[in-house]
Amino acid sequence: GVFAHLEALEARAYEAAVKQEEMEQREEKLARLKARVQELRLQRDELRAKVDLQQRGQLRKEGAVLDPVQPSARAVLEWKVKSLKAMLQLFYLTGISGKLTKRGVCFCISTAYEGTYLDSYYLDLLIKPEVQIHRHSVPIFIPLEQIAKKYLQTDLRRFLSVLFDHLNAYAGRRYQADQLQECFSAQIEGTLQRNSLCNLLVFKYSVSRKSRTFPFHARLCYSDLCCSLPTEVVVSCTPEAPTSLAETAAAHSALFRSVALHKAFRSFSSAEDT
Amino acid sequence: MDETVAEYIRRTVLKIPRDEIKPMLQKWGFLSEAQLQTINFHQIKDNISQDVVQLCEENSADIKQAAVLDIIYNHIYSNKRVWSVYQMKKTGNETELFDLTDFKKKFKRQLRSALKNVTVNFREYEDNAIWIRIAWGTPYTKPNQYKASYVVYHSQTPYVFISASVLRSNLPLLCQALVGASNYQDIHEMELRSHSLNSLKDIVFKRYSQNFQTYHPRPLQERNVAPENADLRIIHENRNEKERIQRVTLEVFGDGPQPKLEFAQYKLETMFKSDPKMGVLDNKEPFRCLVKFSSPHLLESLKSLAPAGMADAPLSPLLTCIPQKARNYFKIKEKKGFFPGSFVSP
Repeated sequence: GVFAHLEALEARAYEAAVKQEEMEQREEKLARLKARVQELRLQRDELRAKVDLQQRGQLRKEGAVLDPVQPSARAVLEWKVKSLKAMLQLFYLTGISGKLTKRGVCFCISTAYEGTYLDSYYLDLLIKPEVQIHRHSVPIFIPLEQIAKKYLQTDLRRFLSVLFDHLNAYAGRRYQADQLQECFSAQIEGTLQRNSLCNLLVFKYSVSRKSRTFPFHARLCYSDLCCSLPTEVVVSCTPEAPTSLAETAAAHSALFRSVALHKAFRSFSSAEDT
Repeated sequence: MDETVAEYIRRTVLKIPRDEIKPMLQKWGFLSEAQLQTINFHQIKDNISQDVVQLCEENSADIKQAAVLDIIYNHIYSNKRVWSVYQMKKTGNETELFDLTDFKKKFKRQLRSALKNVTVNFREYEDNAIWIRIAWGTPYTKPNQYKASYVVYHSQTPYVFISASVLRSNLPLLCQALVGASNYQDIHEMELRSHSLNSLKDIVFKRYSQNFQTYHPRPLQERNVAPENADLRIIHENRNEKERIQRVTLEVFGDGPQPKLEFAQYKLETMFKSDPKMGVLDNKEPFRCLVKFSSPHLLESLKSLAPAGMADAPLSPLLTCIPQKARNYFKIKEKKGFFPGSFVSP
């Protein structure tokens, strides 16, 4: 009945308490031993360092090559962990890092432009039955499907590399357009006309910050999605404009094709200041 | 100024909450700051709107400016409308050099060639969103400004967000114009609808929080671990289970805010499986049944089901696949072997 049940529970509680106590005692002992191990290791390292120093001193005197001191297994492990962490950090900084998951790999592609780290995008890949994209956070206007169709099955490295180029170039283009809009808005008429990929920019601008008119009309096409510089630039001014302006427009055409947009504008400002 | 335009502006201003009228008019930019100063925004809305109409009269407002004000209103209060998502397809692989001016020209031309009486207006926003407002008329009547359709399109994406008016008969024409202007070939409606335009964007643009495993130590956004109960007399017996549920929930939903959907609808076309002895509708016809989950914020509530102890974790994939499958309307048919998701018809 109820009492029997209560007794059974009581007995179980008692057993559990006993086990708990045993476990606690074991843990205490373990902790003590671990501390002791640490102490001994510290001592050993100190002694080793002393020996090492002596030997090196000896070495300089004798000029002989000695066997390197055999590192302990623990030191080796620590070194391995440290260098692995450094490697992972390095990979993350280079832009592509990955982690094995239960069913495949998860890649993180980090974008950067001229030393500024920008957004990161993720790709969760499955490996079986064939390499496929399970989930991702790549912007919808990047032609991910196309790139995957071409390379994902056959050459994973190439796939990542091409995607990396696309994302970085997009980040670079967007960065330039944002910089132009933010830092040189006084020299642009209205707002910059752009699109999601930032691969077509159309705007009217002036060279001077104090100008009230915007004599130049620029149209920058970036047909190469892996490039953050335009493939085609047309800078024009009104037909009635003086020839000097027309010459400047031509010069700017060439400039925009070779120099980052915000840098080009910065050079106008500095030219104006001098 | 046209009487209909005046009335339209008056009614639009009346819709705006009183405190928002001045900021919205400022955004509109049609009335100068000096003119806005002359309006007393503390009087009753009826009078405010009359004053606004008066000033618009002075500036000779036409339907174009009125339409822009309407777009601004709908952009800010987009959650008053239900938005559907449409997906476009194309076969070509050429790099898209989306030209906004080109797009607007083509779109207007296609619409006008089929229907002369339309009002089409555009407004671009900083996030590359192109808002299009279309007021529809018929070959014999002027456009009805009060039942306009709104389209939101982000260049170089295959998704279009449409809040159609009641006049669904104009939808095919609208779709055709969109496809033509954006250089796509085909368009179809997705099974995804919500009042929250931004949440729909988050879902199809994959901007919602997904939990990706990485080595890079993410800034541990104060994942507030509930402070250990100071009272030692309280022991959490099922702490392991609680932690497991938290972990599973996090894996599935991620740790960021969920996109805001109001409902998920499951249409069952499966056979009723009863005890053979009962012989009730047994395998004779599909048992027609509609299950609808409603909530002010469906995904957040689903996310909190398991931690609240109301459901087992992990939740059914039919519920958790919503953002990834980008749909909240499902049709479930018979299939041998339970493969969640794969027997969901497109």
